[in-house]
Parts: sequence; structure tokens; C-alpha cells
Amino acid sequence: MNVSNLTLNYEDREEPVLRDISFSVNEKETVLLLGASGSGKSTLTHCLTGLYPRELEGSMEGRVIFHDKPVADALPGAVSRSIGIVFQDPETQFCMLTVEDEVAFGLENLQVDPEVMEESIDAVLRDVGLQEKKKAKITYLSGGEKQKLALACILVMNPTMIILDEPTANLDPVATEAFVSLLEKLKRTTEVSFFVIEHDLDPWVSMTDRVLMLGRDGRIFYDGPLRGGLQQYAGDLKSEGISMPRVSELALQAGVVGSSIPLTMEELKGRFPIISGDRHKGEGKESLLGAEHVSWKSVLRDVDVSVEKGSFTAVVGPNGSGKTTLCRLLAGITAPSSGEIWHPFGKKERFSHVGYVFQNPEHQFLTDSVWEEVAYSSADHAQVKRMLEWCGLTNHADLHPFRLSQGQKRRLSVATMLVNDQDVLFLDEPTFGQDAASTEHLMKLLEDKHRSGTTIVMITHDMELVDVYATRVIAMKEGQIAYSGDPEELWEEDVEALHLKRPLRVQLESEAYVPQ
Amino acid sequence: MYLNEMNPSVKALTILGLVLVLALLFDPITPLLFTVSVIIITFLFGTFRKKHYLLYLLPFTIFAFGMLWTTIAFADVPKNPGDTVNLIGWEVPREDLLVALSLSFRVLAFATLSLLFMFTTNMVEFLLSLMQQLRLPPKLAYGILAGYRFLPMLKTEFGQIQAAHRVRGLGQESRWKRYRRFAVPLLAGAIRKAERTAVAMESKGFTGSRERTFYRNLSIRKKDWLFPAGMSLLLGVILFLSIHFGYFSWYQGQL
Repeated sequence: MNVSNLTLNYEDREEPVLRDISFSVNEKETVLLLGASGSGKSTLTHCLTGLYPRELEGSMEGRVIFHDKPVADALPGAVSRSIGIVFQDPETQFCMLTVEDEVAFGLENLQVDPEVMEESIDAVLRDVGLQEKKKAKITYLSGGEKQKLALACILVMNPTMIILDEPTANLDPVATEAFVSLLEKLKRTTEVSFFVIEHDLDPWVSMTDRVLMLGRDGRIFYDGPLRGGLQQYAGDLKSEGISMPRVSELALQAGVVGSSIPLTMEELKGRFPIISGDRHKGEGKESLLGAEHVSWKSVLRDVDVSVEKGSFTAVVGPNGSGKTTLCRLLAGITAPSSGEIWHPFGKKERFSHVGYVFQNPEHQFLTDSVWEEVAYSSADHAQVKRMLEWCGLTNHADLHPFRLSQGQKRRLSVATMLVNDQDVLFLDEPTFGQDAASTEHLMKLLEDKHRSGTTIVMITHDMELVDVYATRVIAMKEGQIAYSGDPEELWEEDVEALHLKRPLRVQLESEAYVPQ
Repeated sequence: MYLNEMNPSVKALTILGLVLVLALLFDPITPLLFTVSVIIITFLFGTFRKKHYLLYLLPFTIFAFGMLWTTIAFADVPKNPGDTVNLIGWEVPREDLLVALSLSFRVLAFATLSLLFMFTTNMVEFLLSLMQQLRLPPKLAYGILAGYRFLPMLKTEFGQIQAAHRVRGLGQESRWKRYRRFAVPLLAGAIRKAERTAVAMESKGFTGSRERTFYRNLSIRKKDWLFPAGMSLLLGVILFLSIHFGYFSWYQGQL
């Protein structure tokens, strides 16, 4: 594939989304495209598959050549024979009800003889490890399984190139690892080239041959091996919304980069000084709210837990272990099937004390402008102004909330929940789908609030955040509390059994104690 | 079971035909006999959750009873007011009762036929068969399938929005205004989802053209004709019986 001088304008935007982009993807190569959310990565995908300019409202210049033919000239559907895409959202990329029908769908479109279909379906399901699920309904698959199925649907059509558009954004760390190692296996055993679009680098380090870095201005500012890019642009990456591998970030912070930046644990070993654990502990001994013998349907079973006043509590665990349910019960959004939730707030004014930021911030917006959104529950002009300033949305006060970027939407929903100085704030995976810069911005705001006394309960998969911010951690497993207490002590438990990973700092410390 | 395995298009057309014929008749006995036989046939030749069937039948039965009562209560002036029947202590003109019964049993006959189809037909197979036997455009059929997948998703999303708004402290507003607030995020989400699904389908080579093969080939086999033949025979026998015993009449604009 060869892209030359691609520039793309949307009708309703003044600035071009993509500017003068040129790159190529060779056979059997894995290329990683890095860029902030909103930098035009998905737009680029549409260009590569020929959906744009056909369906584009705007203008497009430049050429996309695939196997010596311009993609734009191909008939609709013809490109799909050689380029397959796995999308970010596992829910919306299927149109059939069962696994085998979904895999067959692509083959039917290619007019494959039905006689041989079953054989190829079995083969591809075996390749991705879903042979047991052949007859299963797609709705009952886990997120990781759905992404594997999406990959199977593409693989069965024998493409020469597969585009993956943030394929692991909706998966928990364990499922992400499983998915990436499946791709690595495919890379070894097939002739396919992969084009991965991501803002989170970590899982992809070992698989990538080459990276492209897409800036916020729509230009590609780096094309080459990963290590070189990190070394050259280390300072700029954060502002471009690209997150470095955590190992590299840690090495940079500690100033132990040397001549080549480390990318993996192995490379960092031995270079790293031991960080002393100066964690802020011991605060908040008094319980604020909690649950006693609480069960909810078949999701939670006999849970006893309490949240301490003034704590920053992280709720961790694999997808489907009941984290969201627990928080909704504690916040009083859902009522338990049995057991009791206790808290010091009166029933009527409960939600002026308790804030809850949902996974999808759009669900919470009620009004037609950012300003009104914050002002909705408190009319005080000065307070609204202060709140908008605090979360960096002053310039967008007149916009419709739906027109904000992902990061801004999230900050707005946090702001609406804190405008009345709520005592407790629950957050359901607030950093999910955010690029590095907006994650950092959001966490700063939360820490700010925590310091001023707000109790924060946050569901997260990110163990680094737990390590840096949390004063307490609740680990869930299969609807029960597997651990509750100090984060430091959690790392000494058997965290693999809880589908968790120790944060890098802790990994390094334990490495350091291994006798050389 | 036979009803579950037979070709869905043949089943649908047979039921459509039967409904059309039944619509032309207007007497109490024919639809009553037919309703009873359809229920028996459904239970004998279909596999489904029996409890659900009865649950679905219940509202239709209540509806039929309601119709029975209102038709009697608000009937036209009868031609033979003297000819009455005692209905649990209530003197009812005989012809009014017959009209009301015909109407109620008609409702039940239509209902049981629809339930027979609903409970023994797989949605995907029906659409596949519509494409393969009745030349329904794939664009439409797969669109319906994708939409069908959306329904549960929309339901969960609706619940989430409801909870999210409650936390924001809604409650003083009118119900209508509240629902209007639900509509915006729900629609925005639905449009985005639909667009993504469309792109995903296209990326798998779907163009909507009729030139495609089918993994599951639904052909019409010889035994599929058993259902239309059997059902017509059944209706014929019932018609013969009701004509023979003098109950039969065509629909001539009664009511």
C-alpha cells in the first residue's frame, strides 16, 4: 500500500483533518499509527479502504494505491477482498446473531461456494481459539471474544492487509494481552501485513516493525522504528496525545535513558534505581458509606465493603466481575436484591452529596450548552465560571456538550458532578478511551479534589493510576470482594489470580531484589 | 419438530392465505373449531417454551372477551328481539350473541395462527428464506437483521441514561420534558451505532447486491408442502362440517 500527499477537508471544518500525508506499508509488515484521539486516525482508515472520497462530505486530494491500483477507482466491496478492518467497538461491527453466521457473512459476500464454507469457518475459528463457540450467540461473548471473532471474520476472507482501529480500546488488560498475542501468532504464521491505529503503545511494542506518528495538525511527523521516534520526540509526545510505553516513560523520568531508550522490562532491568515507597497512606480511617451482605441478581454475592472518608479508592478486577454494579449500589443508583447499603445522607438530598460519572459521559448531559450544563443544579454565576476554568472549558462554554472532544466531555461530566461540592464522587473508568494528555489532565483534577477532602471511588483497569493515586483498593472477582485494603499490600498478594498486573514501579522493585 | 424445521416462507404464505380465507367467513363455529385445531397442531408439531405461549395467548384471550362483551352491549337493534338467550342471568338477543361470538373467535383464530408462526420460526432463517425464495433484496433483509441486534442494546442504553439523569437530580420536570431529554443521547447513540455497523458491513464486502451465496441454504423440500396441504384440508373439513350443520355464513358486512 502506498499513500501519497493525502490531504482531506471536511465541509464543516475550516482546518484540514489530514495534511499532506505520505507513507507506505510493505508486505508482511506491521505498522503502528500513533495519534491523539480526534487527530484523524479513523478518517485515514476510511481513506485507505476507499470509503472516502465516495462517502465524503468535503474534499480529498492525493492518492491511495493498493497493489498498484488506486483504491478510489475500485468498485464498492471490491477493496474488502484484500483489506480487512477490525473496529474499536466490539458491539457494532456484527450484523448476524451467531458466531458461525457472522463468519459466513463475509464469505457469502465473496460468493464462495457454500460447500466449502464450513471448512474455512472451522479453520479460522480454530486459528483464533473460538472453535468451542461456533454455535454461540454473539451477545453472550465477552469483549475479548468479540474482538477475536471480528478478526476471524476478516481472516476468513484472506486479506493481504488488516487494519486494526484501536482494537483493544474496550478490553481489559488481560483480554488485551490475549488479543495482541493472538495477532503476534498470526504475524508469524501468515503473510498478512497489519496496520494498527492506536494511542496506547504499551501492548504493541514487541509486534511493531515501524511506527507513524500523526500530530494534532494532521501531519505525520515521524516515520521509522519505534525506538528512534521515542528518542527524537520524547518531549513532544505527551502534548501530541501519544502515550509512551510506560517503561520508557519511567526511564525518562529517572534520567536513565542513556544511548538508547528502553522499551521493555528486560531492557530496563539493572539500570533502574529503586524508588522508595513514599506513598500517602494512613488517611481516612472513618467509614463514610458501605455495604453489608449485599447481593444483586447473580452479579454480586454477599458483599461486605466500606469506603473510608477522604480516601481515593480504586475498584479493580476483570470485566464482568461486578465493579460497575458495586459502585452503582454504593452510590444508590440501583437497589440491592438483598442486604443493606448504609450512608449518612438523607434519601431526598442524596444526589447532592453523591456524584457519579458514567462510562459514557453523553448519557448525563441534559442541556444544550456547556455553560447551562454546569449551571443546571447550581445557579450561582461565579461558581459556574470557576468550575469551567478549573476544568479548562471556559472557551467552549457556548458549545453543545455533544460537540466536545472525548476528553472534554469527560471533564465536563466530572465538573457537573462536583459543582455542588459533593462529598463522594464515583467514576466508572474515567480514563478509558482517552489519550495521554487528557488522562493526565483529568487525573490532576481528581487529585485536586481529593486533596480538598472529596472522597473518590474510581473503577479502573490502569494499575499505574492505582499505584500513583489510590490510597485504598478494592479488587473484585466473580461478584465478590477478593481484596480490600492498602494498595501496597495488594501487590504482595497473588495478583495474577485476580487478572491484574503489578504496576511497573513494583515490578522493578521486585526485580531489584533478585540476586544477580 | 416439523413446524420448526419447515421452510419459513412456505409457512408464512400458508398462514397469510388462511387468514385471508378466514376473513371472508363470519360465523362462530368455523373459527372456533379452527382455533382449537391450530392450538393442538402448534403443541403437537412445534418445539417452544409452552409457558411463554400461554402467556402470549392470554392478552389475545382477554381482548377477545372484551370484544364479546362490547359487541353485545353496543349491538344494533336486533331483527328478532323476542329470540333471546340467557347468558349468566343476562337476557341477550340470540343474533347479537352470534355476531359477538363470531367476532371474538375470529380474533382468536388470527391470534393463534400468528403465534404458531412466531413461536416456531427462527428470525434469521425467516429472513434468509425471504431472500432465497421470495427474492427480498439483501440490502433490506440484512438491514432488518442488524436492526434486530440493536434492540437489546437500545434497551440497556435507555436504562443507563435514565440512571444517569437521576443522579443529575431530575424529578421536578414534566414527564414529557424528561422523555425529550432521553431522546437526544439515545438518538445520537443510535445514529452513530448504525453508521459504524454500516461501515463494518461494507468492509466485509457487503454491497447489497443479489449476487451472493448462502451458508445456510433454505430450499423448499417436498415435505414443506405438507403444511399448506394439511392446513387447507383442515379448513376444508371444518367448513364442510359447519355448512353441513347449518352454521356457515359469509362475511356480509355484519357490524
